[in-house]
Amino acid sequence: MKHVDQWTDNTTQRRQDWYFRLGAIGIGIAILALWEVLPLTGLVNPIILPPFSKVAVALFTLMQQPFFPGHLAVTFNEIIIGFIIGTLLGLGIGIALAVWPSAKRLAYPFVVGFQAIPKIVFAPLFIAWFGFGQTSKIVMAVVIAFFPVLINTMVGLESVPSDARKLMRSLKATPLQIFWKVSFLHALPIIFAGVQAAFTFAVIGAIVGEFVGSQEGLGYLLNLYNFQLRIDRAFAVIVILATIGAAGFFLLEWADRKFIFWRERS
Amino acid sequence: MPNPKLQLVEAPVAGASDRSVINTRSISKIFSLPEGPVTALRDVNITVSKGDFVSFVGPSGCGKSTLLNIIAGLLPPTSGTAELYGEAITSPSRRMGFMFQTAVLLPWRTVEGNVLLPAEVYGMDPKAVRDKARSVIEAVGLKDFIKAYPKQLSGGMQQRVALARVLTYEPEILLMDEPFGALDEFTREAMNLELMRITQSAGITCIFVTHNITEAVFLSDKVVVMTPRPGKVSGVVDVTLPRPREIETMKDPAFADLIFEVRNLLGRHI
Ligand SMILES: Nc1ncnc2c1ncn2[C@@H]1O[C@H](COP(=O)(O)OP(=O)(O)OP(=O)(O)O)[C@@H](O)[C@H]1O
Ligand SMILES: [Mg+2]
Repeated sequence: MKHVDQWTDNTTQRRQDWYFRLGAIGIGIAILALWEVLPLTGLVNPIILPPFSKVAVALFTLMQQPFFPGHLAVTFNEIIIGFIIGTLLGLGIGIALAVWPSAKRLAYPFVVGFQAIPKIVFAPLFIAWFGFGQTSKIVMAVVIAFFPVLINTMVGLESVPSDARKLMRSLKATPLQIFWKVSFLHALPIIFAGVQAAFTFAVIGAIVGEFVGSQEGLGYLLNLYNFQLRIDRAFAVIVILATIGAAGFFLLEWADRKFIFWRERS
Repeated sequence: MPNPKLQLVEAPVAGASDRSVINTRSISKIFSLPEGPVTALRDVNITVSKGDFVSFVGPSGCGKSTLLNIIAGLLPPTSGTAELYGEAITSPSRRMGFMFQTAVLLPWRTVEGNVLLPAEVYGMDPKAVRDKARSVIEAVGLKDFIKAYPKQLSGGMQQRVALARVLTYEPEILLMDEPFGALDEFTREAMNLELMRITQSAGITCIFVTHNITEAVFLSDKVVVMTPRPGKVSGVVDVTLPRPREIETMKDPAFADLIFEVRNLLGRHI
């Protein structure tokens, strides 16, 4: 009986999932159709918003340009390196602050203060400090990306149930054992949510850095096409950036489901 | 009522009585809170003999958990000492196993993985413990769930895992803080019978915290009745009902008398 119930539950669940998926696809198609039709009717100036089909063509031709792979690689590098360094930095500082209470008390005001600053204001500064190359963009990505990881690491490590710690203490576990066998794994679902946010932020950091000053990268291309009023190409770059962001996000989502299988999911 | 001072004089010197496993010698515990000090325990003297099943009963806040934590070596007393075989308890000991009100399982570990956690912490070779762990998991009725994860188990099953986790390491003393308090009446009864069977056959000394008088009398050789503000022992009831005990034991008129006696000791203070 129990198994049968579970099975029917699963199928209704799956059917609902499909309804929602189809609904989302429907909405997507509607938006694209509107995008195509509005500029053609003249309600929207096609120079401001080129129809979807023109953007699709622009995307196709852009990707075949010989200069394109270089720009893509530059931005991709900035994002990935910024994301990795930012994640490790956030993780390291978060763990240090969580396991060392006096460090936390000393550093917390600065952490909070730093969080209050819109980090984008540093972009021109980083260009001045680290030049027009990739370094300044990576630094920008790191500075934005490390924050959610830091906060989530601290919150996650502090939310370890006291009973679990008590159990480990009753077993005479060393602090290191308590950390690796209980605290860290307990915090991992929360930390990973921060890591997911970090990826999105790393994309923002890299692009903002490129906007402010660069001679290569997708952000540079986007800026250039804007100035040239080649809005179809500008949209094509946006589509590529959106794809990178979404791909990273869903990859991490997949990793989350696979490796953090014990996470409570609603 | 015996004078506690007198009791102290009469109490055996450390090591003098070979049957006493745990002694508390005028334990007091004062928590300092921002609103002022809270006396959780005052001058508590109890003796637990080898193989005995002892329950602590009392209303909420009378210090049962505090006393158990002190005995477990998880909490230092403000004054007095708790002794294990005549030696002061200053930190947890592997001779004592601890069970909580909730199972406290690690959700990323299977039933077996959870039961093997102490082995890893103790630095034992998990392979050497695996067979023992499996037989204990079977003994608590979870044979088919060895590879299951905690969230796939009911509350009662999770508590069985916790019991298996502690029994696998053959503790001489089992300390339990309302271990089945979160379970429904039927499951709790079944778990109690099982606990009694296992601890009796292994000769494990048990200290069991509960606020269920019937449960305390049914399981115990001794019921320590505690009263709040400040938490202290108001009396100890010796339960002389024969063993092995079954559900039918509850029909025994002596059972009702004992419950009444415990209630009486409590009643004067609530
Ligand atoms: N860590 C603590 N800090 C401050 N006060 C505490 C602490 N632990 C317990 N107390 C206080 O000590 C008293 C006894 O608490 P304890 O948890 O031992 O009671 P209990 O008998 O186990 O109650 P319950 O049946 O509700 O579990 C209470 O008044 C409680 O507020
Ligand atoms: Mg308690």
